[in-house]
Amino acid sequence: MQRRNFLGLGVAAMSAVLAPSALSAIDYRKTKPNTWTAHNVKDAMTALYGTTATTESGVKITIPKVAANGGAIPVNIQSDIDAKSVALFQDANPEAAVAVWTLNDKSIINFDVKIKMKASGSMTAVVEGKDGKLYSVTQSLEVALGGCEG
Amino acid sequence: MKIKAKLKKDVVKVKAMAKHDMITYDQGKKKGVPANFITHWVAKVNGEIVYEVSTSQFLSKNPIIKFQYKGSQKGDKIEMTWTDLLGNTSSKKTKIK
Repeated sequence: MQRRNFLGLGVAAMSAVLAPSALSAIDYRKTKPNTWTAHNVKDAMTALYGTTATTESGVKITIPKVAANGGAIPVNIQSDIDAKSVALFQDANPEAAVAVWTLNDKSIINFDVKIKMKASGSMTAVVEGKDGKLYSVTQSLEVALGGCEG
Repeated sequence: MKIKAKLKKDVVKVKAMAKHDMITYDQGKKKGVPANFITHWVAKVNGEIVYEVSTSQFLSKNPIIKFQYKGSQKGDKIEMTWTDLLGNTSSKKTKIK
């Protein structure tokens, strides 16, 4: 019962906050600069969200098991969580962060990007729920030909 | 930049491709050119943000992004803008089909 009250409050507070915030752009490179220079997923996640405690559920990431070309690996992230932001990390490149999406009331979490990876490793997608919790999923993949040599 | 937007039921599906070399710090060092990559994308409809992402050097060369959102009508115009590390921007407008 308490949880229900809490959620109800959260929704009311959110709808009040959402209207103005949907209009202003947030550039995470400027607001959270440390995220982009962190060398591993844990540091990057801490810099971005202040914690690495996540619940491993509710998020789906679709990547190939073996990527023939590390220069363009297709990534798809999906989730039904009512969320504020979504972040994508990987652990093969010199820095961990790849992208941080800012969500608004029109967003559907179904994002496709193509990314570069230097070697085999794993990707982690994190969804920051409006309930203040983090949800994540991690999946490993093999990269046949690294993509950062250029 | 190329951009396509299609309305199906309530959901608009958008696909965009930016023409950009996306030079990472490592590649830049090797080639002796400054690193430069797209750092921020934003898509707006009627002045309202519908999609926003901050990105790092690890997007692919000529990155393709796809996303979905709801709340637009057929014929609305969607404008996509990216900004890169050196401050260049590029934007493109298209009608939602």
